[in-house]
Amino acid sequence: MIGEGTGGRVAAKTALVLAMTIAGAAPLRAEPGGTDILSAETLTATADVRLVGVDGEQSWANGGFGKLRYGGDNPAKPSDFSLKPAFAEADIVWQPRFSWSLSGTVVGLVQGGDKVQAGLSEAFLSWKPLESGQVKLSARAGIMWPPVSLEHSGPEWAVTDSITPSAINSWIGEEVKILGAEATASTQFGGNKISLTGALFDMNDTAGALLTFRGWALHDRKILAFDEQPLPPLNAMMSMLQPRYTHPLNELDGGYMKRPGYYAKLTWQLPVPARIELFHYDNASNPESVNYELEWGWRTKFNDIGLVAEPSDKTLFRAQAMFGHSLMGYPMNGANWIDMRFRAGYAMLTRYIDKGSISARLDLFGTRNHGSAVTSQDDEDGWAAMLAGRRNLAKNLSVLAEIMHVESDRDARARAGLASEQPGNQVQLSLRARW
Amino acid sequence: MRHFIGWLLLLFACASAAQAGTLTVRVVGADGKPVSDAVVTLRPQGGSAPALRPQGRYEVKQFDTQFHPFVSVVPVSATVYFPNLDPFKHHVYSFSPAKTFELKLFAKDQTRSVLFDKAGVVAVGCNIHDNMSAFIYVTDTVWTAQTDASGQAVIRDVPAQALTLSLWHPYLSVPGGVSNEALAASGADRSKTIQVKLRAPPGHHMNMGAY
Repeated sequence: MIGEGTGGRVAAKTALVLAMTIAGAAPLRAEPGGTDILSAETLTATADVRLVGVDGEQSWANGGFGKLRYGGDNPAKPSDFSLKPAFAEADIVWQPRFSWSLSGTVVGLVQGGDKVQAGLSEAFLSWKPLESGQVKLSARAGIMWPPVSLEHSGPEWAVTDSITPSAINSWIGEEVKILGAEATASTQFGGNKISLTGALFDMNDTAGALLTFRGWALHDRKILAFDEQPLPPLNAMMSMLQPRYTHPLNELDGGYMKRPGYYAKLTWQLPVPARIELFHYDNASNPESVNYELEWGWRTKFNDIGLVAEPSDKTLFRAQAMFGHSLMGYPMNGANWIDMRFRAGYAMLTRYIDKGSISARLDLFGTRNHGSAVTSQDDEDGWAAMLAGRRNLAKNLSVLAEIMHVESDRDARARAGLASEQPGNQVQLSLRARW
Repeated sequence: MRHFIGWLLLLFACASAAQAGTLTVRVVGADGKPVSDAVVTLRPQGGSAPALRPQGRYEVKQFDTQFHPFVSVVPVSATVYFPNLDPFKHHVYSFSPAKTFELKLFAKDQTRSVLFDKAGVVAVGCNIHDNMSAFIYVTDTVWTAQTDASGQAVIRDVPAQALTLSLWHPYLSVPGGVSNEALAASGADRSKTIQVKLRAPPGHHMNMGAY
């Protein structure tokens, strides 16, 4: 009796020890450091197709003076209102995660228009360590837009509540893209959050060309890395010194980071739902540099002030004002060929409704030229009004409708045989999908 | 004799129970509107309170890029589970003195858990999604309740002693974050309305331009 029992107990004990050894040898659920380079979670694709109705002069995108993404078909005179479908944009966003503090964002996009363009939009690394302590640090480095816009969000830098951004943020999207490194430090106290961002960059030596030769515009076309933007007819002297295009992501003054630009941003989140942003940009370029294509360096600086506030639970108010200065070319008769001051502002109110939003925005913009080669003939004043609505149809599908009216006064339109003052109307219906 | 003492004890027990009332607290804001997610705690003045035992499963879910619930009350030594219902990863953390932890969660349907062994308020965030926020109030007393959508919290079996009533809310704008007041001894059912001044909650649509 006792012998049997002991044998049984030994057998049971051995079985238990064996089971525990096997269990112990099998790997515990691993903590792989959060690495996820390529998986369904790291990839997103988006597409945007539209129905567009537009009248007026030929758009800047086709080499005219028109302020909108789309425009009339005739370069010589304003067109009547007409409706047409358009493929706007398709994006692939890849966001690999290298560790819990280091991730990447790469955005490739195909952009519709007269010609379909494809290319790289942004490619940057983001570092965001988890640290206790009063000061939180983060950084980004690569090809990216500086953090100016209050209208864009998400890795694909999409306009959230309307189709077309303000004049200020349209310019950022089309001409102010940099290759650089940015760091942010933020701290919180008493319900306030203060962040300071600083960056060193290069490859934006021609920023200011579009604003000078074409003026402000309102559209959602993005500049792709190393791609070009068209210019309207130039004056007689500039026609000999500048091609009818400009490359925004461009290094012309002696080599990458030999003459770096910088930007700095101060953000103050108040204890109430309101945030103030102050932004300063200076590309520190040499206005006398030129490359073999006859593209010149532009010394461009600007200040931007932004305000976001939520006056009530379902209302968002946004406003920005930008003041800047661009210099290009050699001094002649006491002034650089181009000495242009630019300014623009907008105020926008968004009301969040069931499954979407409604937004209204007013834009004001203008430029003043005091240069020796580009003079007041290229001065500009204008305004735009926009009404937009967004509705989420399903988790991955949304529709936006937008009406825009723009009016601008630009004497340089005479070069295209057009009257200085031109109005423009554009209606867009956009279907956006995301996977 | 044993039976007599037994009946006497029973009598005392009944008497004490009869002396324990219900306290209904209504919390309203400066505008008179009900305040939910306020935590009311009663402690005897000069004495300790019986501890609350873990009951059921405590969860703070992540879905729609937010924590649910926003405020939860758990007893000391409770384990809270953090199931991730979003189709992407979260990196949940807290640096609160009551519990410092970090959970590197993976995609949908993965869960981690944390043991909360100290009383206090734990502020929870996600390092990837800055707008995610939750609070876990770890309590050492059974007389704790959280106000619901109508601003009401009910504490039962309140003993007939002098008590200190503490009120906490994530947006309470008071130094120390907790407001205290004395509560007189009473065995009766009673109700109390407390008006609080709260900071404005962070806007839901404010993260425009988040890069």
